[in-house]
Amino acid sequence: MSFVPGQPVTAVVQRVEIQKLCQGENLILGFSIGGGIDQDPGQNPFSEDKSDKGIYVTRITPGGPAESAGLKMGDKIMQVNGWDMTMVTHDQARKKLTKKREDVVRLLITRKSLEEAVKHSKGSHPSHLPAQTNARTTKDRVVL
Amino acid sequence: MPTDKYADMEEKLWILEDLNMMYIRQIAVSLQDSDIQKKIDHEIRMRDGACKLLAACSQRDQALEAAKSLQTCSTRIMAYMSELQRMKEAQVMQNVPRRSSDAGPMDDRLPCKGKVAISDLRIPLMWKDTEYFKNKGELHRCAVFCLLQLGGEIFDTDMVIVDRTLTDICFDNTIVFSEASPGFELRVELYSCCSEDDYSAGSTPRKLASKLSSSLGRSAGKKLRAAMEPGACSPVSNGGAAPLLLPVPSVPGPKYHLLAHATLSLSHVQDSFRTHDLTISGNEECSYWLPLYGSMCCRLAAQPHCMTQQMMGGWLKVKQCGGDPKTWTKVYAVLKATSLFCYQRQEDVDANVEPALTIGINKETRIRASEKDPHSKGQNICISNRYGGEEVTHTLNTESREDTHSWMEAFWQHFYDMSQWKQCCDDLMKIELPSPRKPAPVTPKQGSLYHEMVIESSDDLSSTVSDILARRMQELELRSQLGTSPTWMSVFEENSPKSIGFPVRPCTSRLSGHSPHSPHRLPPRSPASPHRCPQPGLLSSDASLTSDSDSHCSTSPCSHRHGWPEPSSNFSLLSSSPSRLRPRTLSLDAKLSTLRGRGYGGGVAFQCSCQPPSSSLLAPHPVSSRSPLSQRSTQTTLSCSSSTSSSSSSNSEGSHSPESSEGGPFSRPSPARRSLRNLRARLDPRNWLQSQV
Repeated sequence: MSFVPGQPVTAVVQRVEIQKLCQGENLILGFSIGGGIDQDPGQNPFSEDKSDKGIYVTRITPGGPAESAGLKMGDKIMQVNGWDMTMVTHDQARKKLTKKREDVVRLLITRKSLEEAVKHSKGSHPSHLPAQTNARTTKDRVVL
Repeated sequence: MPTDKYADMEEKLWILEDLNMMYIRQIAVSLQDSDIQKKIDHEIRMRDGACKLLAACSQRDQALEAAKSLQTCSTRIMAYMSELQRMKEAQVMQNVPRRSSDAGPMDDRLPCKGKVAISDLRIPLMWKDTEYFKNKGELHRCAVFCLLQLGGEIFDTDMVIVDRTLTDICFDNTIVFSEASPGFELRVELYSCCSEDDYSAGSTPRKLASKLSSSLGRSAGKKLRAAMEPGACSPVSNGGAAPLLLPVPSVPGPKYHLLAHATLSLSHVQDSFRTHDLTISGNEECSYWLPLYGSMCCRLAAQPHCMTQQMMGGWLKVKQCGGDPKTWTKVYAVLKATSLFCYQRQEDVDANVEPALTIGINKETRIRASEKDPHSKGQNICISNRYGGEEVTHTLNTESREDTHSWMEAFWQHFYDMSQWKQCCDDLMKIELPSPRKPAPVTPKQGSLYHEMVIESSDDLSSTVSDILARRMQELELRSQLGTSPTWMSVFEENSPKSIGFPVRPCTSRLSGHSPHSPHRLPPRSPASPHRCPQPGLLSSDASLTSDSDSHCSTSPCSHRHGWPEPSSNFSLLSSSPSRLRPRTLSLDAKLSTLRGRGYGGGVAFQCSCQPPSSSLLAPHPVSSRSPLSQRSTQTTLSCSSSTSSSSSSNSEGSHSPESSEGGPFSRPSPARRSLRNLRARLDPRNWLQSQV
């Protein structure tokens, strides 16, 4: 999942749509993120490449909206509502996720298991892969 | 003609001086003390050299240094001469038959001598706002140095140029006096000299001088006039205490004047930094004036010989009361510091082998000699200590009565020493001897921390406080050949592998503006480490830390929150002894640690290494596990300091954030503190923040 900055990235991604949950006056998504270009990538336990400064999901609140949407711990977030997350600071990422006016976030995430699933199916059509329940997800091959 | 008169005067002074020298030499010879005489001769030679150098040199810096050596030499000569006088007097007195009423005290026991070390001298300055911040007025620069005198030893510190950009005057020399008695008086004198344009006094004829002073600006002229006349402003340079045996030769060039002084004694000795008052002489009108705050900060440590040297050693037979009454164990006992170490063999003493038995000898110990034991030749000596609520008694048996006597004598002497040296005998204070080094390269300007902290005003604050400090640290390490780090770095250094962990800076992750989260979002973590101090980034990769546990922020944290009170170019004396764990008692640190301890956990989500997969999460981590967590700790440490490497999975030092609402024992820190922490956490790229969304 590493990439050379400036070069096109190829990854197997999954779209995850999370509805924000209203809690009092806050809208929460139910997960935590870590990473960012201003953070020390060596301490990221989820990344394969320790120089990867992307945004990763570090924790999922059980029973929260993220969990129901199919987000998993260790996922790398590539886009949020169309905004790129591969080259942002931690704070920028957090801001993109917590906009008060939006009550749904559509994430593009990638994880190792997706890559492997695709590899195992040896390039067969993505629709053969098991579908996720409870969320609209499609597995695409995306060139960013 | 005026010039002749001056020449005459000078000549007379020189002649007087020569006469004095002869007189002194005679006294020395008559006392047959060649030691002092040699010292005096040496100093006189040095002084002559300094005078010549002063006359010859053209650069201001050199002149200042030479003047400093001149000052030191003069003071030393003065001291030696007064000592000579004293010795002469004592000799004369001895020849007079003493009356019985003059007899000294019955107990003429002398306490042992010791080493006294003073280091990290820092004298704060108190500039007026206008001068300091707004840079108004001309830059008034002074050269200062400190002269330290104890008994017959006089040392000087390096010279420091002070101008209004400096907040404190720091001397990073460590001065060690070797033979000091408990009643010592350490006199610290601060000399300063105006370091501006060439106001070489004395050589300018008076008429010209007055013309100059009237044509210059008012303040400059005032200074010039003050420098010219050795008037009210410039007290006699030896502090005006003793009458001059020797008039100080008037040499051209800069002249130092006494600006402030202080006297320290045994009551000021402590294993940490303390502030003392300074008596300031001189006033604002003087050219060498500096606005001193009025106090001085330093570390004064003392090592009495009874703590460092072996006071008594010999073969003994020991038995413990309450134990097997029949068995006497033959040991080689050594009386040192606060215990009697008993080794099985004499060689063990030097071989660093653990003693077979250690009996504490301190103020609480009671020792008495018992009645003559018919079974053995010598007497018994009983040593009783109270450990906790119990009283433990050891009995020693010696070979002969003389031995008993000498042991008792040694014990009494030891007790006497301890009573005289008081707090110095509680624990051994560490004194770090400066290693011989080349003189440190003179920095062009000793900037204060304010000026060196450049914070770029970019949004990301990429150059963070910690980076700046790290860079500065590296700079300092490069500069100083000693390899010891500045005072504040000592906060980061580990005492020993077993030390109570240094809770290094906490880092927080930002709470997204969401207020207290509802309980159902509580992570199912065992309240594993409520107090666990996370492993935030270290200041620099050079400082290695074994943070063991976190917690008990009893030892000091470091914090960059407040401006550093102590500028960094200081020598640090390791103030802890390896054998005992001792919290650092820098006052700021104590305060900080209480602050941290209070508002720590709770609402703040802090962490650095992130969570492990949930399975290992639930393994309960004991809060204060000082046990060899080392593997984990070091790994975390390593991961903190070196950015790449490391195994992420084993990074699981459960310093996972009790993200906010862990209910539990924490209170949420106040918003101000939280935001400060947040800020710090955000600023430090060495962390790996997590945010909850």
